[in-house]
Amino acid sequence: MKLLLTGVNHKTAPVEVRERLAFSDTAIPTALDALKNGNGIAEVLILSTCNRVEITVAAQDDADPQAAIDSFLVEARRISSHSLGPQLYRFEGREAIQHLFRVAASLDAMVVGEPQILGQMKSAYALSKSAGVMNGLLESVMSRAFSVAKRVRSETGIGQMAVSVSYAAVELARKIFGTLTNRTVMLVGSGKMSELAARHLRRSGASHIFVTNRTHSRAEEMARLFDGTVVDYLRFTSMLPEVDIVITSSGAPHYILTKEEMQRAIGVRKNKPMFLIDIAVPRNIEPAVNKVDNVFLYDIDDLQGVVNSNLAERQKEAQRAEGIVAEEVDRMLARLKVQEVAPTIVTLQEHWEQIRAMETAKFLRKPGAFTGEQLEAVDALTRSIVNKLAHAPISELRRQAAHPEGAHVIDALRKLFRLE
Amino acid sequence: MIWLRVAAALYSLGLLDALFLLTRQRDSFFRPALAAFGLGGLFHLVSIVEQGLMQHQFPVNDIFQTLSFCGFLITVSFLFVYWRYRTESLGVFIFPLVFILALVAGLSKSFPAWSSPEARGLWLKVHIVLILAGYAALLFTAVAAVVYLFQENELKRKKPRRFPFHLPPLGTLDDLISSSLRVGFICVTAGIIVGSIWACVDYGTRWIADPRIGISFVTWGIYLALVFFRSSAGWRGRKAAILAIAALFCSVATWVAHVGILVQ
Repeated sequence: MKLLLTGVNHKTAPVEVRERLAFSDTAIPTALDALKNGNGIAEVLILSTCNRVEITVAAQDDADPQAAIDSFLVEARRISSHSLGPQLYRFEGREAIQHLFRVAASLDAMVVGEPQILGQMKSAYALSKSAGVMNGLLESVMSRAFSVAKRVRSETGIGQMAVSVSYAAVELARKIFGTLTNRTVMLVGSGKMSELAARHLRRSGASHIFVTNRTHSRAEEMARLFDGTVVDYLRFTSMLPEVDIVITSSGAPHYILTKEEMQRAIGVRKNKPMFLIDIAVPRNIEPAVNKVDNVFLYDIDDLQGVVNSNLAERQKEAQRAEGIVAEEVDRMLARLKVQEVAPTIVTLQEHWEQIRAMETAKFLRKPGAFTGEQLEAVDALTRSIVNKLAHAPISELRRQAAHPEGAHVIDALRKLFRLE
Repeated sequence: MIWLRVAAALYSLGLLDALFLLTRQRDSFFRPALAAFGLGGLFHLVSIVEQGLMQHQFPVNDIFQTLSFCGFLITVSFLFVYWRYRTESLGVFIFPLVFILALVAGLSKSFPAWSSPEARGLWLKVHIVLILAGYAALLFTAVAAVVYLFQENELKRKKPRRFPFHLPPLGTLDDLISSSLRVGFICVTAGIIVGSIWACVDYGTRWIADPRIGISFVTWGIYLALVFFRSSAGWRGRKAAILAIAALFCSVATWVAHVGILVQ
């Protein structure tokens, strides 16, 4: 059995190429069938997402899966693999396993550590499984890939830090308040980003959302989105003591919230902390507000800074994750080799047992020459001799199987004992 | 003397109110506590007048009488301020303070000696355990406060992740600080009451001059201030954290003084 992975991703091919190669979920079963019918291919996986299209097959040792996939692409997508040139990558054996592990662990993703890809891989796996083309080598590689992804996620911080501005805001809110349950939010002005941040906050447990806007109808529209309350724009500062998180994104050309106003609000709140998120440009909140005790002010650049440092942190964690993947690939290969050697061991044992059984039968053919006890003794003696002789070669076979150079030893052994 | 002790007993209701308020067990205890406080003030006045009549002079002759008189003045001022401005929250600070003053003043005459050495030992052990629990809680508070300051600094500087490990959220730390402070305050208050009574019985009237006891009272006072600033004046966050750390230092000083005195 050998593995071959062929595909394109966002790094190698532009979207025009990826969309021509892509398979919809409904098209995949037929494609799987078509590939399986081709020459010696036992297992197929088609992973098709917006960032990558990859076909992985497990084929018999004597088959030519590369040719099969090339002709499949011409038939199904009218694309010759030559025309794709270096945009198309091919990995075999060890490299294919490594690539699958890296993809599952989200190390090959556009934003490293984003977890969607694992779900997409799992559904691709399920499609292959139900089409009956996932039942051997590729299956064990895939299920290992899923556990590698899990291990990477739990042993590194690769997926822990927010990499979008709105998630970064939620993460900061959590660092300030602990739980967001029963926290209130006020949106000053409207905008896509503040809407997104409010949505995340709401999902994380924020209990109520106040909305204010110079244009009353716009405020009402936003309030409807979150089941919130509209606050009059002219007196929104008097509402400040009631809210924990303020998101401003109004188009006002000057500061609409000053240090003095915040000092008063925080006093009324008895110093309960407040988190102010200023997404507006020009800024809506006077920067000196951050100097007020128990008030935390982040503007758009601050949030972007957090995102950037998180991304850098993810890259660092990705280095550790690569180490885990490399280790797991080695382990997987060793295991596969041990699996490969199993038939040889069985044949060897059967071969010796056959000789032993035949020879003892020949020797004991004369009827009545031996008592029952003697028969048993001869049987036990021969068995023990065969086992002793077999012990060293079999354990050496197992040991060699895990080594890269082991194949030669196994070959030599098969020749020595004429197992073919 | 008996009247002063009655007054102290009445004041203890005020202390209970403060403790209830801190542990948020109930909130309608203020009225009866205030009534008891007023009544306590009356008995307190009676005791001062009685002492004055007995000695034919104004009763501020020794430390006990001075403390008693000082406590009485605080009582009167509190009642006046309350009548004028309805400042309920001051009670958290005033009630325990007046109670402790009255208690100490009420312990100026020695009790009869211990009924048995076991009782003396047990009493002392209770005192030590309570005070140690108070120290532990204060240590806990201060550690949480240090972590709070680090986390707050990171959030303010807008450069998160200077630490390789995750610090707990500010909200959680603040909760931790206030609850450990409450537990600590209750333990230290109880410990100091038990300790004062023990010292009074054991040393007689000389006990108040013992520097160790003086320092313990200072620690308790710091605790009281900490609790008061937090629960009534709304000191939260950085200031409260710094105050908590300062309180720990004072306690350590008390501790060192204790040990130092024992070594001498």
